[in-house]
Amino acid sequence: MSDEPPRPPSIRRRLLVFLISSLVLMVSGAAIVTYWVAQRSANDAYDRSLLDPAFDIADNVNVDATGAHVDLPQKALEALVYDQVDKVIYQVRSPTNAIVDGVNDLPPPQDLSGEPHIFFDGMYRGEAIRVAAVRTPNGFVVQVGETLHKRNRLVGEILVAELVPTLLIAVGSIALAWLGISRGLIPLEDLRLELSNRAPRDLRPLATAAVPIELAPVVNAFNDLLDHLRGASTMQQRFLANAAHQLRTPLAGLQMHLELLFRRDLPPDLRSELERMHSATVRASRLANQLLALAKAESVPDKSREFENIDLRAVADTAARDWAAKAIAQNVDLGFSLERAEILGDPLLLPELVDNLIDNALRYIGGGGSVTVGTGSIDGVPYLSVEDTGPGIPLSERSKVLDRFYRIAGTRGEGSGLGLAIVQEVVDRHEGTLEITDGAGGRGTCVRVMFPRKRERG
Amino acid sequence: MRLLVVEDDALLAEGLTSVLTRAGHVVEHATTGRHADILLVDQDFDLVVLDVGLPDIDGFEVLRRLRQRHSTTNVLVLTARDAVEDRVRGLDLGADDYLTKPFSVNEFEARVRALLRRGAAPAAAWSVAGMTVDAAAKRIRVDDRPVDLTPREWALLELFLTHPGRVLSKDQIAENLFTFDEQLSANAIEVHVSRLRTKIQPAGAHIRTVRGFGYLWEGTDE
Repeated sequence: MSDEPPRPPSIRRRLLVFLISSLVLMVSGAAIVTYWVAQRSANDAYDRSLLDPAFDIADNVNVDATGAHVDLPQKALEALVYDQVDKVIYQVRSPTNAIVDGVNDLPPPQDLSGEPHIFFDGMYRGEAIRVAAVRTPNGFVVQVGETLHKRNRLVGEILVAELVPTLLIAVGSIALAWLGISRGLIPLEDLRLELSNRAPRDLRPLATAAVPIELAPVVNAFNDLLDHLRGASTMQQRFLANAAHQLRTPLAGLQMHLELLFRRDLPPDLRSELERMHSATVRASRLANQLLALAKAESVPDKSREFENIDLRAVADTAARDWAAKAIAQNVDLGFSLERAEILGDPLLLPELVDNLIDNALRYIGGGGSVTVGTGSIDGVPYLSVEDTGPGIPLSERSKVLDRFYRIAGTRGEGSGLGLAIVQEVVDRHEGTLEITDGAGGRGTCVRVMFPRKRERG
Repeated sequence: MRLLVVEDDALLAEGLTSVLTRAGHVVEHATTGRHADILLVDQDFDLVVLDVGLPDIDGFEVLRRLRQRHSTTNVLVLTARDAVEDRVRGLDLGADDYLTKPFSVNEFEARVRALLRRGAAPAAAWSVAGMTVDAAAKRIRVDDRPVDLTPREWALLELFLTHPGRVLSKDQIAENLFTFDEQLSANAIEVHVSRLRTKIQPAGAHIRTVRGFGYLWEGTDE
């Protein structure tokens, strides 16, 4: 559905988003601190080695008649400022700030007054450099600068050494958190499975024994709700049962008195009038019975209504006793073909299923036909069938006849349209399937109900 | 015979009483379970027609107390509630038969007759379905001519007569006709029924076959 409101983020996602963002923050913080510390360590390590040539040069600055110059052979100077990795330069300035020796494009140092030497970062020909500046007692300033390759390499090495383990720990934490969340959410998934596997009218409370303490309030609240529903449903059932009961007794009285009247000498018109009343009374009783059956079939299963081992043959056996006389009175050949068919079922609902199927068959068949009740199993699937030689149900009507109060237009018989609806309810309750086909030889109707094999149930 | 009708619905009680009175019985009527219980302690009845749903103590309780006093009075239970539950419970408690409301007058009369016959002295000869049955002599007369029945045919007829309008499965018949020296097969039962059927046919009594199941005695009484 498109107009569904956006789903709030899942618990897993919330937890992971929180965890990952905190980890990213902490790792970034650690990286900044590590970089700063690494920089300092690199400077501490290499600044000292930059100072040595500066002092050496400073020691050899002499002033004579020709002016100021560095008293070192060129080779020695080159050796002093030689480095394998970095480019090293030097410069000597006189107290008057004139360049005495070395490169001439190194800017003058910051103020050196009060300190014998300083270190500072500078630029030389577009490249970042680190400079050590030394002041000689006679006011000359020696600067030695070098590019940052060594330092940067050390900083990089320190960063890698410090940050790689940290990153590994962070990634590991996320993976573990993912696993932990999944494991932690197992009870929730179990609950979801239990709820989604539930039969639609199963209002029995959820098991609370295996529920973790965090879920217990939810499950308890849900069970309270189920409890309320069960109570309401039980009350409704009781009401229906009482109503049906209260209806049946006066209807029985009415029927009896009408039948006693038939024994008298009655004028024909009065007799036919009374016969119509009688048939209406019988119909009303049947309707009361069917409403009761429907209420029973729809009702919530409780402890007193657990499924039992039932042989469908025994159910059909009882039906035979109930229906044989009626069928004979109607000149219908009611027959049985009963084989063992063991199922787990509701002992009160299954008779309703058989009764309504037989009643339905007898109602529409007319005299002279035959109805056969069968039980047994095909390929291990237990079934119960009622086959008749009646008018049959057209293909287009077969799905509709299971609806409540639906009656095929133009049919004889005074059905309520509830019979097959009750059958369908009972079939649903047993998780069975119902099929309506033509009877043998394409004549009449065969209604067959197939039940789950016994071992398929839990 | 003395009969007790226990039914709180006035209309139905009146109908039941009227049917039974017309059949020549003396009928007492109780509208509550307690009243019925008191009557049953004090007096003997040949048959009790007992409704299950009563205002104070229910019919099952009345029945339970009756059987607790070791009374063998025949009890026909009328149920209106859940037919299956009530019939099982009623029979467990010692009811002799049950009827589910609503029922036809004919059905009620047939059940009452069968129950009263069960309690009657076996010496009595009575006429049924155009024949006279002499239970003591184990003989019947059809059209005033004596008809000889084998012991097994007699047993079969007796079984049918005590279950008018009721289907008897072949298993049930075999169980009732069982003797130690012989186990009756379904085929043997068919043969016995067929012979009995031929012998009583002139009386207009019908033993109807319920295909694949058993038989039903359709003879109309009296």
